[in-house]
Amino acid sequence: MDGLEQEFLQLSWKLHPDNFVNTDEGEREISLQRSSRLNDAYRVLKDPVARVEYLLELEGMRKEGEHKQQAPPELLEEVFELNESLDELREAKSAGANLDALTIKLRAAEKNFGEKLHEVDAEMKTAAQQWDAALDANTSETDREAILQRLNELLNRRSYIRNLVAGVEKELQAASC
Amino acid sequence: MGRIVGIDLGTTNSLVAYVDAQTGQPKCIPGPYGSTLCPSVVSLDADGSVIVGEAARRRLLTQPERTIYSVKRLMGRGPADVQSELQLFPFRIDPQSKNVIRVMLGDKMFTPPEISAFILRELRNWAEAYLGETVDRAVITVPAYFNDAQRQATKDAGRIAGLEVLRLVNEPTAAALAYGLHEKQRGHVAVYDLGGGTFDISILKLISTGEGDIYQVLSTNGDTHLGGDDIDNLLQAFVHERIRETEDLDFSPHGELAQDLRKSLIAAKHELSEKESVTLRFALPSGKTFVHNFSRTGFEALIQNVVNRTMTPVKQALADAHLAPSAIEEVVLVGGTTRTPLIRCTVQEFFGRKPHTELNPDEVVALGAAAQANILERGVSNMLLLDVTPLSLGIETYGGAVSRIIPRNSTIPASAQEQYTTGVDNQTGIDIHVLQGERELARDCRSLARFTLKVPPAPAGLPRIEVAFLIDANGILQVAAKDMRTGERHSIEVQPSYGINDTEIERMLEESIEYAEQDFAERQLIEARTESEAILSATTKALANPQSAEIPPAERSNIEAAIAALKQSVAGTDYKLIRKRIDELNHATEHLAELLMNSAVSTALAGRKLAEV
Repeated sequence: MDGLEQEFLQLSWKLHPDNFVNTDEGEREISLQRSSRLNDAYRVLKDPVARVEYLLELEGMRKEGEHKQQAPPELLEEVFELNESLDELREAKSAGANLDALTIKLRAAEKNFGEKLHEVDAEMKTAAQQWDAALDANTSETDREAILQRLNELLNRRSYIRNLVAGVEKELQAASC
Repeated sequence: MGRIVGIDLGTTNSLVAYVDAQTGQPKCIPGPYGSTLCPSVVSLDADGSVIVGEAARRRLLTQPERTIYSVKRLMGRGPADVQSELQLFPFRIDPQSKNVIRVMLGDKMFTPPEISAFILRELRNWAEAYLGETVDRAVITVPAYFNDAQRQATKDAGRIAGLEVLRLVNEPTAAALAYGLHEKQRGHVAVYDLGGGTFDISILKLISTGEGDIYQVLSTNGDTHLGGDDIDNLLQAFVHERIRETEDLDFSPHGELAQDLRKSLIAAKHELSEKESVTLRFALPSGKTFVHNFSRTGFEALIQNVVNRTMTPVKQALADAHLAPSAIEEVVLVGGTTRTPLIRCTVQEFFGRKPHTELNPDEVVALGAAAQANILERGVSNMLLLDVTPLSLGIETYGGAVSRIIPRNSTIPASAQEQYTTGVDNQTGIDIHVLQGERELARDCRSLARFTLKVPPAPAGLPRIEVAFLIDANGILQVAAKDMRTGERHSIEVQPSYGINDTEIERMLEESIEYAEQDFAERQLIEARTESEAILSATTKALANPQSAEIPPAERSNIEAAIAALKQSVAGTDYKLIRKRIDELNHATEHLAELLMNSAVSTALAGRKLAEV
């Protein structure tokens, strides 16, 4: 069991509404508020992506509704190719043509981007560890700023690739209906 | 303050349980018929009195228009939601009902929570008679996949029955609790719960800590309209078709014929869990007998689709918990429908391990509810349940899309805060629409509530209102608002889309007390006497039948002695004694009943009672 989970469970013992059924309404309300905050916090902190998002929000790097959706430059070529295949798939489907070859191609692309997603996740994990280390070592503001920038880039990249994968999945599903 | 009990308010049967102070173990409480199962059937007599349970179940055949079963299917739902149910269930819904369904029983109308309240009141009577103490608080179980409206309706039913509902507990979680106490399990557990009308799958992690044991639900999924009822419907449709090949008959769900056939089919289904084949004989109005041999394989082919439908939620719940089937250390089966061999096989094959079935699958949920009631009663405990919300909570945004604010499988209580402002000068209200579900468009999700946030007149964009959405430990939504500039709190009147408001509940509570005023024991006595009349007249008729000459003289004198004993008990006022004598007479006439059945036209299911022949 990791430290975060242990802390969560310990606080749950203290704050959960089950412990306050026989108390007055005021205490019940406080228990409800606190245990919901505890659960909300744990939900964010145990998920590596949500945790980075939250960190960037705290540091003022990211505001709600301000998510960049441009393709990362090194992916441009592959994304271009993918979009072409998706167009072909849609056309072939409305023409009633055989979709097998295109489906295989798109499945391969889906797998490829899925792998990239794992890569980003790994990179993000490393950067997050760097952030924790930087805090512990009390490094300079510029260094920390750089890590935050890196995390922000990775997060944007991740959400871009994830949307891409979700999009391919959706199209493939529509094509198979 | 009175006792707290745990109640399993089921689609087909309901149960009440308590924790024995001496042993510390939960126990189900038997009703007047000796069984711990109370059929979830309610009947309204012509004299205005309400009958619940076994006695009401018998009225399904004789007074179908005054009797209702499976009302749980209607809880928290609107008239438009239940159209498909009406084809197979004899629900008579008031065509005028708007958001809340109203069901007709005889010439009176009731909401589903009111009907459920009759069942809860009956169980409360069972508990009070058994414990000899007042019972005024309860933990009630609900399917894990119930949405906010269905949970709220269940809580309302408790209030109408005069019970303070301390907690709604998810059925699979309650079952895990009962098993945990029983087996001292650790690690990852999957609970597969297929009842009469609902299916749930929950994945739990059982953790031992210094303070005690934690039951943490990791994920849950399910279908609130999938269960044994669907198997019965398939069997019924199959047999209707066969019969219609030769006979032109009306099998509308309101008719006695359909109800009678359904009863025989359910008995045949239960037998197929034990036997490889079963023969159904059903007397048709034309005087002919419909005979069909069901083999286990034929039955399994028929229900394969229902079993398959349970596996999609199972896979989703595992994916949400980030676990492979092989990571599950224990599998628990809950619900009467899991007695079906095909289901046991399918689950065992999928998880690669033999599921637990040691505890009675009908009782295990009520036992868990009693355990949780005991935890709450004592306030401090060495056990903690951390449950999750089964469905994502969202709010409608521009263009009918949904913005998800609390994802499904979040540990509850859970909350989310949203900030709102105005778009035009002096705007006085902001409309908010709260939804539950996984789909992207508001129209595909379940509407929970709509309300207008009041805003003091100000230039556009100046007001800052924070709305807090909170899902409490029962899985029920609460909403509060705060003006960020003044710090002032607004109370928000949230009118649930499919719910009943507080004033209505108060009125229903008052009305239900009128029904409750009839003394429980008196009612039981009347019931027992009525039943003894029926069995006495059936026995007399049977003994007059020439076929009865075949029974040996010793048996005949046994029957006569049982008749005399029953007649004597009816003269007294002890309903329990009358019940005992009825059972004895039923037992004494088993052979006679079989004899008459074989020669006559009824169904040939052994173990039938004479009064049913």
